[in-house]
Amino acid sequence: MNSKMSKLVAVLLALMLVVAFLPACAQEEPAEEPAEEPVTEEPVEPVLKTAMVTDVGGLGDKSFNDLAYEGLKKAEADLNVEIQVLESKEITDYESNIDQLASAGYSPIFAVGFLMTDAVAKMAPEYPDTQFGGVDEFFEEVPPNVVGLLFKEQEGSYLAGVVAGLATLDTFDDKLNGDNVIGFVGGMDIPLIKKFEVGFTAGAKAVNPDVKVIALYAGNFTDQAKGKELGLSLIEQKADVIYAAAGAVGSGTIQACQERGALFIGVDADQYLTVPGSGDVMLTSMMKRVDVAVYDTIKAVIDGSFPGGELQVFGLAEGGVDLAPYHDFEDKVPQAIKDAVEKARADIIAGTIVVPES
Amino acid sequence: MLGDIITPDLFASALRMATPLALAAIGGTLCERSGVVNIALEGIMLTGAFFGTAAVLATGNPWIGVGAAMLAGVAISAIHAFASVNLRADQVVSGTAINLLALGVTGFLMELWYGHPGTTASIQVLRPIFSFSSPGGGFLAEAWRWVNGIVFSHTPIVYITIIIAVVAQWAMYRTKWGLHLRALGEHPRAVDTVGVSVYRGRWVAVLMSGALAGLAGANLTIEQVGSFTENMTNGRGFIALAANIFGRWTPVGSYLASLLFGFADALQIKLQILRDVITVPPQFFLMLPYVLTVVVLAGVIGRAVAPAAVGEPYKKG
Repeated sequence: MNSKMSKLVAVLLALMLVVAFLPACAQEEPAEEPAEEPVTEEPVEPVLKTAMVTDVGGLGDKSFNDLAYEGLKKAEADLNVEIQVLESKEITDYESNIDQLASAGYSPIFAVGFLMTDAVAKMAPEYPDTQFGGVDEFFEEVPPNVVGLLFKEQEGSYLAGVVAGLATLDTFDDKLNGDNVIGFVGGMDIPLIKKFEVGFTAGAKAVNPDVKVIALYAGNFTDQAKGKELGLSLIEQKADVIYAAAGAVGSGTIQACQERGALFIGVDADQYLTVPGSGDVMLTSMMKRVDVAVYDTIKAVIDGSFPGGELQVFGLAEGGVDLAPYHDFEDKVPQAIKDAVEKARADIIAGTIVVPES
Repeated sequence: MLGDIITPDLFASALRMATPLALAAIGGTLCERSGVVNIALEGIMLTGAFFGTAAVLATGNPWIGVGAAMLAGVAISAIHAFASVNLRADQVVSGTAINLLALGVTGFLMELWYGHPGTTASIQVLRPIFSFSSPGGGFLAEAWRWVNGIVFSHTPIVYITIIIAVVAQWAMYRTKWGLHLRALGEHPRAVDTVGVSVYRGRWVAVLMSGALAGLAGANLTIEQVGSFTENMTNGRGFIALAANIFGRWTPVGSYLASLLFGFADALQIKLQILRDVITVPPQFFLMLPYVLTVVVLAGVIGRAVAPAAVGEPYKKG
């Protein structure tokens, strides 16, 4: 009786574990579904097999993992390549995911997120014939088969700062108050996120020297409820425009803006499109074109011009970062603000403004 | 400068952040008092958060969502009850399995139902119950700002939680059911000999903890954020366990302990506003709630005595 019981428990637990890992299998589906279309249309052998390993945020983060996947899908459609995605649920998955893809012959393999830097540095020498793209990864010495894909987030954030700094002085929307205060919500206080904060502050102060910029950090990239509390605190401090570089934490901040009346500037993707129903507060977004970087790298591999051993930096000039359209605020935002953004953009590209990054 | 920190919203925010912790902690208290360890609170909360959101997305009615969240909590905790009461499995293993299961099932169903991982579309949320207008100017208006901010600015579940804490405390110490519950965790054999079913008593306690942790999930999604994100509970279930211990396995104690953790979290947010004045890295502020947890558990509260029979499966006969 007793051993029967414990066997039953063992079977039950094993079942639970199987179910627990189901999403990992399920999430490979989106990679396979679109693959069918080009094959039916033009039954040509794919030029190459490319893949990506997501960070722990995984697909659906509406941020850099999704954007990298966009780049892959575009390459699949335009360049006739086969694509594959492996999601990392834990930091310990990075190496085994890279290993799995490399031994299956995928190249280039994109490792998305700065947390994967060490895993790439370790696995790249083991697969010298495989090419790697490291999104947001900085290497002291770039291995010859790796390209580090970095972004000048501070430049795009500077433009967001220009918009926020001028908007808080303006009255084009009734959510804007008379106080000269704007807010920033960061995920973790790490150099990467600091670049967003510093660029944002520099942009705001350039057009509005007296503006008070309050920056709050959540300590992670996933806790939406914390993001909402941070937003409420900023609004209580009279901030009327809030810029969040905090992954899913930002969705909570959007909720705070909608409840208490403040404008929001999104990050990474054009969040007007990725967060449905946020149009009433979404002033604009700072887009980080991870998709462009990924697509360009795949193209370079096909052309035989893969920049191995280099760090590539995508700024405003390269189209790597930019502001999204104003969407619902297009008609409300005064021309003076739009002109100021255009001027700042031109000055940064021309090099007359150099945006600090720390 | 202090005026920036000590605001009505500091206390309101503490209450808001304490609510999901307190609900799960009271659930944990009921469960552990009956002799069943429940480290599955995290997973149950996540399950409640997901099914609550799904129900609101399907029906458009937040209250149906709250009911669905509690039902989902009951359903998943039934697995824990069956494994730990009937099958006499190791309760920590069963709880861990449920935490993994919840993470997997919610992610899987999200793919299945909504076609994408990550975050769901936003849902209709429960609004604050009261909305009074401020009286005239001067001192009255200022006093009103505080009272209104701290007492009247909340959503329904925040108030319901306080009621639950008080009622559970009363039931645990003033009713026959409460006496049996406490005895289950201390000396189940004694309960058995007076003719009360140990299995049934523990089942009821585990299911109640499931309902409460599910309600905690509903508070997160249907009141606070208005959408579900994978793994959005972010360890709150485990902090709730600490609150249950800090509250010495009593419902009101659990509530007050959660309030302290909520206050520490609210305070660290407000302290970050003063970063220009107090120049320490924000990590120090972020540490505050956790340092507090360690400190109170390590010494200040003295020895916390767990129910004698907690974690021990009961074998009839």
